[in-house]
Amino acid sequence: MKNLKSILLAHHGTPGALLAEALALETAVAGQTQIVHLLVVPDFWEGMQGDDWLNNASTRDTFGSYVEGLLEADVKQQLRALEGRCAERGFAYKPVMRQGDPAQCLLETAVQEDVSMVVIGPPRPKGVPGYRSRMDIEKLARGLHVPLLMAARAAS
Amino acid sequence: MIYTVKSSALLIIGIVMLAWAGLNSSGAVDGMQSYLLASDYKDHVKVMKKYDAQVKEATEKAAAAGQPAPEMKMPASKFDHSKATQSKMSNYFGIAFVLIGLFTLVWKPKPGNLDYLISVVPGIAYILLIAFIVRWGLDPIFGNWGKAAEPALGWNFAKIFNLNYVVIGIVIGIVVVNVFKIPAWAANGVRTARFFLKTGVILLGTLYSAAELAQLGALSVVMIGIFVLGSVWMVLYMGKRMGTPNSMTAVLSAGMGVCGVSATVAAAPVVQAKAEEIAYTIGTILIWGVGCMFVFPTIGHLLNMGPVQFGAWAGTGILNSAQVAGAALAFDPHNIETLKVAEIFNITRVLFLPIIVLWLAAWYVKHEEGAEKVNLTQVLVAKFPVFVLGFIAMFALSSMGVFAPAGHYKGKYFSSTEIKEDKLLKSDETSAVQGELNRLRGAEGSQALSKYLTESHVTLGKRNVTSEDVYTALTELAANKKIMTREEDSVLESLAKMDGIDKAAKEAISNAHHAAYHTSKSIKAYRNWIAWLFAFGLIGLGMQITGKALKQAGGAPLVIGGVVGTVKAIGSLIVVMLFVKEFI
Repeated sequence: MKNLKSILLAHHGTPGALLAEALALETAVAGQTQIVHLLVVPDFWEGMQGDDWLNNASTRDTFGSYVEGLLEADVKQQLRALEGRCAERGFAYKPVMRQGDPAQCLLETAVQEDVSMVVIGPPRPKGVPGYRSRMDIEKLARGLHVPLLMAARAAS
Repeated sequence: MIYTVKSSALLIIGIVMLAWAGLNSSGAVDGMQSYLLASDYKDHVKVMKKYDAQVKEATEKAAAAGQPAPEMKMPASKFDHSKATQSKMSNYFGIAFVLIGLFTLVWKPKPGNLDYLISVVPGIAYILLIAFIVRWGLDPIFGNWGKAAEPALGWNFAKIFNLNYVVIGIVIGIVVVNVFKIPAWAANGVRTARFFLKTGVILLGTLYSAAELAQLGALSVVMIGIFVLGSVWMVLYMGKRMGTPNSMTAVLSAGMGVCGVSATVAAAPVVQAKAEEIAYTIGTILIWGVGCMFVFPTIGHLLNMGPVQFGAWAGTGILNSAQVAGAALAFDPHNIETLKVAEIFNITRVLFLPIIVLWLAAWYVKHEEGAEKVNLTQVLVAKFPVFVLGFIAMFALSSMGVFAPAGHYKGKYFSSTEIKEDKLLKSDETSAVQGELNRLRGAEGSQALSKYLTESHVTLGKRNVTSEDVYTALTELAANKKIMTREEDSVLESLAKMDGIDKAAKEAISNAHHAAYHTSKSIKAYRNWIAWLFAFGLIGLGMQITGKALKQAGGAPLVIGGVVGTVKAIGSLIVVMLFVKEFI
């Protein structure tokens, strides 16, 4: 595809994201297209201390730091992995990390990074484990001003 | 970092509060208040009628004596007191918020303690405003609607569905965070809800007697011991059978067994739970806890449970500690007896927490290869709930009589010397007492009395009450027109429960009993403040329950949590109904 300056790839290591990655790398042009890797930390983590009130501040801080550590390690792992795969295929790579609603983050990043196309994975089939933090496809379709490509589901 | 968010919201909230105080004081909203404070208004009408009659009588007397009509002042009714309380609270907080609001607008914040302290005030004002609206407005409105619909429905929907200030407040909190979002200027203050809840628990320490604390403490240790250990074991067992990862099993068992989200927060780092395991567990516990908070009080009312029974059940069966307090207040919103029981259970749970965390840490190290060993002392010290020390300190001070006279623990104390003239028994009442005394001295009466005292095992301290004790108590009551000693009060209270006692005499004994017991003003004030602190705290905690967190409920934790939560709720209900009596 000509003039494909950059592709925004929403990727968080899930099976659906791996399908999106394959599609993005297939669509991209080596030496021309930059892969902008968007990694969203879902905003539900903000409410993950729930209504705990019995613990003291030190216990809550320990929990907060622990969860942050987990999420950070996960993010680093995802970024390193995709960066390596992009380098192997000769694509320029740019990571973008955000926290919030996945669709909103994607819309904002698409504008901010001035991407030519957005690639996402297929919705997670029902019953498959994972965070309940799905991409709002309708919100994306209505808000994006660039083409949106969704990877097909893997054949079962 | 600067925490203070420049906004005129605090100033506006302060002005709204001052306006309410002004409207109340001027009587401009009396029409609305007569609807909202319906019961107090009935008292107001009575006081007004009595006053009018007194004025008329005094005027006629004065006219007959050729003197000018005397100047009289109408005594304050409950309605006046309630309005004055609303005005006073709205005024104090309104003035404070207006001043701080103005200061915030002109002040250039610098990083430091003052900035942080100022930053929490708008959030506090925000919750307080909701608390005022809920407690003074929505609670009575739903109460009135429930009563109005009762003849048509045959039941009071507001009572059965617990549509009181606690439940409405929590629901509003949940709606605010999920629909409108917490405004940036209020975010810091909303987090202080935890502090106010803990303060409420500490103050609650003033309301227990040593006997009460010992009985409730023993009951809670037995109930929590059985159900905490039982549910922790059950989760570990089910986790093994379902093949869930050790870290997930461990964090889930803490949450399911001890005190819900608090236990999950405390245990997750120790058992090295993974992010999705934490999300699943907390989602499951929150959804279960919120559901229980609405269901438990309704079941409690349907089963006609008392404060001890319901407090014990909610304190054991509800997974999450915040919802335990919510359910207790939802069940019994205008009297904090149930909350007193439930909070003892919460305290016992939180005291169990470090022990369970240690147990799970040891279990995890044993079952997981390469797991880091845990420093036991560090865990015990870090997880110790310091606020429990405050509760114990308040209990100790209260027991020493610092806040109210001895024997005050239920907010009342016995004193025959403080009985006012108008509270002494009237002549018809003393005649009824004398008549009952004569009847009980007769052959048939004395036989029935003796049989009752023996069969009912009526005791006074360690000895059995005799017929002579009853005769003396009745004689003294008839002669003095009031109960003279605590022992006589106890004897007469037992006598009033005997079958065949004359209705008028029974009523006289009850009146004399109530006249001899005085409400301690300081304890009454504590009760009121505790109710406000819990209402405030629970609205704030409602604002921490996000739909997105609830949605994370899923996976094996939802299955295991569903089974263990149900077993725990039903099991503890059966135990409570079979073995727990209203003995306090």
